[in-house]
Amino acid sequence: MPRTQALMIQIATGDARPISKQIVDGVRMKIATAELAPGDQLPSVRGLAQQLTINPNTVAKAYAELTAEGWLESRQGLGLFVAAPRQRLSDSERDRRMDEAISAFVHEVAALDYPPQRALARLDRALQVLSRKTA
Amino acid sequence: MADTDYVIETRALCKRYGSKLALDTLDLAIAPGRIHAIVGANGAGKSTLFRVLLGFLPPSSGSARILGRDSQRLTPADRGRIGFVNEEHTLPGWMRVSAVTAMQRRQYPRWNQRAFDEVIGHYHVLPEQKVGQLSRGERAGFNLALTLAQGPELLVLDEPTLGLDVVAKRAFLESLMYSSAAEACTVIYCSHQMEEIERVAENLIILERGRLAHMSAPEAFCARVSHWIADMPFAGPPPASVPGLLQVQRIDGLHHYLVLDQDEDFGAFLRDAGARSVQSMPVSLDRAVNGFLAKNHAMPVAA
Repeated sequence: MPRTQALMIQIATGDARPISKQIVDGVRMKIATAELAPGDQLPSVRGLAQQLTINPNTVAKAYAELTAEGWLESRQGLGLFVAAPRQRLSDSERDRRMDEAISAFVHEVAALDYPPQRALARLDRALQVLSRKTA
Repeated sequence: MADTDYVIETRALCKRYGSKLALDTLDLAIAPGRIHAIVGANGAGKSTLFRVLLGFLPPSSGSARILGRDSQRLTPADRGRIGFVNEEHTLPGWMRVSAVTAMQRRQYPRWNQRAFDEVIGHYHVLPEQKVGQLSRGERAGFNLALTLAQGPELLVLDEPTLGLDVVAKRAFLESLMYSSAAEACTVIYCSHQMEEIERVAENLIILERGRLAHMSAPEAFCARVSHWIADMPFAGPPPASVPGLLQVQRIDGLHHYLVLDQDEDFGAFLRDAGARSVQSMPVSLDRAVNGFLAKNHAMPVAA
């Protein structure tokens, strides 16, 4: 069973952000900076409430928001874990980046003066690695 | 019988001391579950409300019900369902801790020794000590332990952490939030300490001159109040014309407005009044409650 990852966040009273929002921001930042990695277990609701001396329902509210946004996932009977990063790009953004990658490749191939047929064959072989991975 | 869905329900409740109305046609309905904080300026009627609810004082008019019962006709069994902790933590100073505990244990049929031990474990209180020898913090902890051990459905706390040092206060709050006995009951908590309320309360009730001025989650109350800073070349608009005004201050030539229930239109109002620049920001709970209680008569009637 995975062990709970320490959650080193601070909350402050007297802030314009409610405490639950401070927790949401704190956890997101930990994930963004990779201090929390996918699969890490978060402290229990009660545990984090005790750590911060706040009402457990405030922690529950923050965790619910983080789960709804896809940052955390709950595993039945085990607790809350950092979720694997999801596809956060829109379809059009994805197409745009693909165009960019192809264009960069074509320019490199042109600079090498490499025959297009052989370039295509090698690209095909390289991409088979990807399809094997996902199969 | 006479069950309602509320742990506390008052209708047009009035309490008059001579010519002064301490409670002024107060309508208050508190739903069961977790921790409610009551705030108000001194003299807003908090302590009077508690005394009426617990049947220590008769109302001048209107009705007050607690756990579905008429406050004026509480039986000993009803009282056993209600725990009350006051700021003085009044307990007989000449009695030993063990004697007070034994007395309470006999008095309450639902006595829960485990709950008592769970709370008292936070404090260095020995059974052979006399209550009068306990520090204020220890007395507070002992009082809370006794009250939670009676297995109340409703716990009423009147400024329970007043005068406690930081360690005793933290121990008290931990017992209140994490002990299993406290988790099982509705807590009504009256305090002036916003820092504590922010950590503890899920529902904020504001009393003002014996009336209910506001009730919601603390963050929803915060969201009603905003702070605007305007660069006004002249005196600024007359305060009476400023919508939702709670407080106005002039600092280093800038006008600071704390206002209630204002949206972007307030910026337009300030610009129309001659402001060269206008900025706004949210405020903390402490600032919001302070401004709300400190305001003069420029207050729109709240729902």
